[in-house]
Amino acid sequence: MNKHNNISPNGFEQCIKCTICTVYCPMTAVNPDYPGPKQAGPDGERYRLKKPLFYDEALKYCLNCKRCEVACPSNVRIGDIIQAARIKYSKHSPKLRDVILANTDFMGTVATTMAPIVNATLRLKPVKHVMDAVLAIDHHRTFPSYASQRFETWYRKEAAAKQAEYPKQVSYFHGCYANYNNPQLGKDLVKVLNALGYGVQLLEKERCCGVAKISNGLVEAARRDAKRNLSAIRQAVAEGREVVATSSTCTFTIRDEYPHLLGLENDDVRSQISLATRFIYRLIEERKAKLVFRKDFRLRVAYHTACHIERMGWSIYSTSLLRMIPGIEWLPLESQCCGIAGTYGFKRENYNFSQAIGEKLFQRIKELNPDVVSTDCETCKWQIEMSTSVPVENPISILARALDEEATREANGVK
Amino acid sequence: MRYDTVIIGGGLSGLMSGIALARAGQQVAIISAGQSALHFSSGSFELYGGAEHPLEGIATLPAEHPYQKLGVERVAHYAEQTQELLREAGIQTTGSTARNHYRFTPIGMVKPAWLSLADYTPLESADALPWRRVLVANLEGYLDFFPSFVSAGLARLGVESSVATISLPQLEHLRKSTTEMRATNIARILEGDVLRALAEALNERVGDAEAILMPAVVGLKSDKAMFELREQVSVPICFLPTMPASVPGVRTQLTLSSYFQQLGGAYLIGDNVVRGNFEDGRLVSVRSNNHEDVEFRADNFIIATGSFFSHGLVAETNRIVEPIFGLDVEADEQRTQWYAKDLYARQPYMSYGLRSDDRFRPMIEGRPIENLYAVGSILAGQRAIEEGTGGGVATTTALYVADLILNR
Amino acid sequence: MDRIENKHYDVIVIGGGATGAGTARDCAMRGLKTILVERLDFTAGATGRNHGLLHSGARYAVTDQESASECIRENMILRRIASHCVEETSGLFITLPEDDLEYQKLFVEACGRAGIDAAIIDPKEARLLEPTVNPDLIGAVRVPDGAVDPFRLTTANITDARLHGADILTYHEVVGFVRTGDSIEGVHLRHARTGEQMTVYGSLVINAAGIWGYRIAELAGVRINMFPSKGSLIIFGHRVNNMVINRCRKPADADILVPGDTISLIGTTSTRIPFDEVDHMEVTPEEVDILMREGEKLAPILGQVRILRAYSGVRPLVASDDDPSGRSISRGIVCLDHEVRDGLKGFITITGGKLMTYRLMAEWATDLACRKLGVTVGCRTAELPLPGSDQPKDSEGRKRKAHIIELSTEQKAAEGRHGTMSRYIPSQNAQDDALVCECEQVSVGEVNYAIENLYVQNLINLRRRTRIGMGTCQGELCACRAAGLLDKANRCSERTLQDLRGFLNERWKGMYPIAWGETLAEIQFTSWLYNGVCGLDQVKESEGKPVINQ
Repeated sequence: MNKHNNISPNGFEQCIKCTICTVYCPMTAVNPDYPGPKQAGPDGERYRLKKPLFYDEALKYCLNCKRCEVACPSNVRIGDIIQAARIKYSKHSPKLRDVILANTDFMGTVATTMAPIVNATLRLKPVKHVMDAVLAIDHHRTFPSYASQRFETWYRKEAAAKQAEYPKQVSYFHGCYANYNNPQLGKDLVKVLNALGYGVQLLEKERCCGVAKISNGLVEAARRDAKRNLSAIRQAVAEGREVVATSSTCTFTIRDEYPHLLGLENDDVRSQISLATRFIYRLIEERKAKLVFRKDFRLRVAYHTACHIERMGWSIYSTSLLRMIPGIEWLPLESQCCGIAGTYGFKRENYNFSQAIGEKLFQRIKELNPDVVSTDCETCKWQIEMSTSVPVENPISILARALDEEATREANGVK
Repeated sequence: MRYDTVIIGGGLSGLMSGIALARAGQQVAIISAGQSALHFSSGSFELYGGAEHPLEGIATLPAEHPYQKLGVERVAHYAEQTQELLREAGIQTTGSTARNHYRFTPIGMVKPAWLSLADYTPLESADALPWRRVLVANLEGYLDFFPSFVSAGLARLGVESSVATISLPQLEHLRKSTTEMRATNIARILEGDVLRALAEALNERVGDAEAILMPAVVGLKSDKAMFELREQVSVPICFLPTMPASVPGVRTQLTLSSYFQQLGGAYLIGDNVVRGNFEDGRLVSVRSNNHEDVEFRADNFIIATGSFFSHGLVAETNRIVEPIFGLDVEADEQRTQWYAKDLYARQPYMSYGLRSDDRFRPMIEGRPIENLYAVGSILAGQRAIEEGTGGGVATTTALYVADLILNR
Repeated sequence: MDRIENKHYDVIVIGGGATGAGTARDCAMRGLKTILVERLDFTAGATGRNHGLLHSGARYAVTDQESASECIRENMILRRIASHCVEETSGLFITLPEDDLEYQKLFVEACGRAGIDAAIIDPKEARLLEPTVNPDLIGAVRVPDGAVDPFRLTTANITDARLHGADILTYHEVVGFVRTGDSIEGVHLRHARTGEQMTVYGSLVINAAGIWGYRIAELAGVRINMFPSKGSLIIFGHRVNNMVINRCRKPADADILVPGDTISLIGTTSTRIPFDEVDHMEVTPEEVDILMREGEKLAPILGQVRILRAYSGVRPLVASDDDPSGRSISRGIVCLDHEVRDGLKGFITITGGKLMTYRLMAEWATDLACRKLGVTVGCRTAELPLPGSDQPKDSEGRKRKAHIIELSTEQKAAEGRHGTMSRYIPSQNAQDDALVCECEQVSVGEVNYAIENLYVQNLINLRRRTRIGMGTCQGELCACRAAGLLDKANRCSERTLQDLRGFLNERWKGMYPIAWGETLAEIQFTSWLYNGVCGLDQVKESEGKPVINQ
C-alpha cells in the first residue's frame, strides 16, 4: 500500500465510470443504504482523498465478495478500495460480538475443548435468543458445531509420524474450520495427498488467516496473525514444500488480502500458496500423479462457486477434479453470492440482507435437489445447509470418498 | 490447461467464436478481463449503417476494412449465421441482412439497425413512424432516460406524445439510494407483483395512445419479464435503450456466456492474459494473472480483446500498443495525429487496430502468427460508430475465424 | 428586458470575471444603481482558467514587492470574507538539488519585508507535512498559501451584488457605446445567441473585461497598452497534494502545484500570444511535456496520476503608458481614469492585477466611480462576508463538525461548494438527493438550485456553478442527466440537445491534448454512448457560433 503518498492503490486511476460493477453487486440489490460499489469504491475514494470526512459508514455493508472486481473491465480493485477505506477511516470500534466472531481460532480453542457442551448449548433456543439479544448474533443462525478433537491433535497423534515416509512433501494450511469444526476435511486431504505420494506437514504455529478479523475491524490483530503465518509459510517454502489449503477464503486472504489490505508483501511466496484442488489438478495434468476412483461411487453434485474462489478464478480446478469422478452426476449452478460473506451474515442486522441475497441460489438448489452441494468455502457451507437443508461438502471430501485409495496408491507407486 | 482453442476476450466476438467452436465439438476456453462492452449495447446490432441495403453499401468501404477482407459473400453468410446462433442461444432478434430497419434512440434520434432484440420495435423507415399518438413513460427518479427529448424526436416525425412519470411504491426502496436507481437495478425489482403494478399503472395512463415508449429496464437475466409486461399492457410497448448499464445488453452477455458454458466451454472471467509463449511462429501457450504457472495450451488462439475501452489497445504517451503479445498495430505515430479536435469529426484513433493478413492473423514485425487470429473491434481499418459496423464486424469475423479453425 | 432598458444606471460594469463581479458588488453595496454585463458567462475568461491559488504573495516577494504586499493583505481578507471559497492549505517553497539554496535566504528576507510569514523548515518536516513533495528537496519554506475557487468566488460576488440590487446580464456583448460629445452615456449590447440588440444607459461605464478590455477600450475610442500572455495548466484526476507546492527560485514555468477541491493543478507556462488568439487558445504538446516534466520535480507521484485535462488562460498584461514596447510590464493593478488620461468622460478601465487582488481592484474602481458620482460611502467589501461565508469561520467550523456526520456525501460536497447557501439546496425527498454527477457528487437538488438561482442557461454554466462534468468521467455519465433536467427549464429540446453536443465537445477540448491512456478509453466510451447508442452526432451544431458553449 502506498501509505506515504496521497494516492490510492488498487487501480483507482483506471476507473472509466462504466458502471459495470454496479450490475454485479449482490448488496445493492437488497439494501438501498449501501451506496453501491462505484460510489463506495472509486467515486467515494476520490472524495476521501480530498478529505477523510467524506468517509461514509455505510461502507460497512460491503460484503467484500469482490464480484465487482471480477466484473470490472478495467482491473480496478473496487472491493479492495472499499475495504482499505474501512480500515483507514472507519471510526466504528468493533463490538464484543464482532470480537467474538472474529477470533475464530480463540473461540475454536475454547469450544473444541468443551465441544459437546458448547454444541448443545449453542443449539438451545434460549441460548440463541440470549446471543441474539445480548450479542446481536441472529437467532436463526446455527453456530457451526465444534469437533471434540481438533484436527491438529488428531494429526499429531495419528498421522504425523507416517508423513516422512512419503517421497514428496507439502505443508497444509488447515485454517480454523478444518481444525475446530470439521477435522474430517483435514483427514480427507491427508488421505488423498498420501495416496498421491505426498506427505502432509503442518505449518509451524499456524494462526487464523485473519479474514474475520479484517472484516470486523481488528486489523492490528489480523496483521499479527498474518505476519506469523507468512513467516511459517516462508519457512515451509524454504524447506521445499508448497503450501496448500482447503478453504478458498483462507487461500485468498493469504495470497491477496495480505498485500492489498494489510500491506504485507508476500511476492516471494505467493505462487507457492495454493488451494488443494489446484495443487492436485496440476499433478494430474502434468502427469505427475494419477487418481483412481471407486466403481461403485454415485453422487449427484451441484457445485457452488464461492465469492473468493470466483475472484481467484480457481473454481475450474475444483470442478475439473470433481468431474473426473466417473460416478458423478454434474449439476451446474450459476456463480453467485450466497449472502453469508463469512461472519457478516451472523450479525442480526445483516440476517435479512444475507438471506435475500442468497434467495435465488437456495431456490435453484432446492429445484435441483442434489445429493450434495460442493463448495470450497466453509461459511457458504453453513449458509447453504441452513437455508436449503442440502448437505454441503468440500470437493476434497468428495474426492476422498470417491477415491479408490488402494488403487490410487498403487498407481502412484506408494506403498 | 489444455484446450483446442483458447479465446482471449469474452465480449460479443469472443463469445460468438467460442459458441461456434464449442458446438462443433471443440474444447474451448474464453479468458475475459471483466465484463464486456455488450453492457453498453443499444440492444441493436449494426451490419452497415451507411446504406439502406447494407451488403451493397459494404462494397464502398476502404480496402483495409475487415469486411473487404471477408468479401461481401462471406459477410452475408456469416451475418445470416449470426442470427441463427443468437436464436439457438435463446436471443430473439428481428431484422434482416438484406435491408436495414431503424430504431429510436433515448434522445429521440433515429438510427439504422441490422438486428434488434425483441424488446425493441423495428421501424420500417427513418422518417415515418407507425404511430400517430404515443405515451412516453418513465419511472420516477430514473435519470438515464429523457422523455422530453424522445417527445421532441417524435414531434419531428409528426407523432403526438404525452409524457407520464410512473411512481411505484416498490421502487421507493431503490430510490433511497442516491446513485443506484440504475436500469439494471430497476430490472432486478421489476418482476412478478411489481411488474403487474407497473402494467396497471401503464394501462391507467395509456389513454388513446397507440403505443408506449419506455426505457428498457425490464428483464435482466432473461426476456421473460419483458414479454410478461407486454402481455399485461393493452397497447404495444416499444422499449428504448438507456444510458449504461444496458439491461438488454447485460441480458445478451449473460445469455451468450451461459449458452457457451452449456456447450461445455470454460468461461473464465476476471482474469488477464499477460503473455504468450511462441515457438517457430506459433503461439504455444498463454499465461494469465490468475493461473500463473498453470498455462493455457491450445492448438489455436483467438484474440478478441477489443479496442481502447476494453484495453485490447493501449495508448501510451507516444505510441499505441497491443499490450499482451506486442502485436503489430496500425496507428499514426504522432500523438497529435490520433485525434480530431472536433469530437464529432472522424477520429483517427477509432480505426486503429491490429494489422492482420487475409485470414485475420495478426503479426509481429510483419510476420503473421500461424495459429493466432484476431476478431472484432481490435481489427484495424473499421470505424464502428461512424459506419455503423460494430456488431457486424464482431460477429462475422468471429464466425469466419471459427470456420477457419475448424477447417484447418 | 424593457425594465433594464428603461432604467438609468449609475454604473455599468463590463465583464463577468472576478473583477467585474467584485466591482458590481462593491458598487451595489455603496448604493449605486449597478448593472453587470457579460458577453458570455461568469468566469468564462481568465478567472476560470488559472491556478486557483490563494497567493501568499511569496511568489512575488523578490521581484515585485508591491504585488507581494497586496497579495498577503488580500489573502487575509479572503480567508475572512470568502471562507467557503478558500481552503487554508498553507504552502511550501521547496529548493531542489538543482536550485541555488542561496535564493532561499533572499526569498525569506523579501517575504519579511512584504509582511508575509515565511518560515524556513527542515526538509524532513516538509516531507511529513506534505508526503507527496519531492523527497530530494534540500530546503523548504512554509508560507500562508492556500487555494481559492474562482468559480465560487465569482458566483458569491454576483449573488451579493444582486442581493444589493444590482442587475445582471449574461450573454450580452458590448458592441458599441452611446456617446455624446466626449462623454460615454451607455452601451449597446447584442445577445450572443439571438443576436438581438439593446441599449443600456448609465452615468459611468467600468471596463473590467480583462484582456477583452483592450477591444472594449478600442470601441470607446481609447487605447490601452495591453499584451495577452497565455498560461497553460494540467488538471490531475484527484487531489494529490494537500499543501501548495512551489519552487523556491525565480518564477518560471510549471513551478506551482495547487490542490483545488477534488483535484490538483500544475502550471503554468507563459507565452505572449497575438490578440486574435485569445478566444482560440490551445495547449500544445510541448506545453504538456513541460508541465509534466516540471510537475514531477515538485511531486514525483504525478507521473502515476491520471491526467484529466489541459487548458490555458490568458493574463492581461499592461505596460505603462510611456512604454509602448511592453518591456516594463507589471503584474500590478492598473486603474485608468479615461477622463484624465484621454479626455473621455464616463469611462473607467480596471485591469492588470490578478485573481488574488480582484477585491482591491474593485475597490479602486469603485472609489474612483464614487468620486466621479459624488458619493461618499466607503468600501465595506473587506469586512462583510460573501453569501455562503456569512458565518464566522470558527464557530461555523465547530457547528459543521457536529452535524456533518449526519450529512450524506453529496450534501457534504454541496456544502463545500456553496457554503452556508447550501441550506437553500432542496433536499426534501429521494428525488432531490439523487446524484446527477457521480464523480463530483452533484445532486438533482443542487442542479435545480443552480438553474433557478445562479444564472444557468446551459450546461457549461451549470458546470461552473456546481462542478458537474468536472470529474473523472468528464461528463460521460452526467451530461445527459443534466441535460434532461435543464430541458425542463429550457423548454426547448432542440436547443438543449445542441447544448449537450457542444458541452461534450468543450470537455473534449481539454482532453485531446492529453488523449492517451485512460483519457482515450474514456472518450471512446463516451463516443459509443452519445453517438453510437444515442445518435447525438445527428444533432445539428447550434446555429451561428459555438460561442454559446463558453
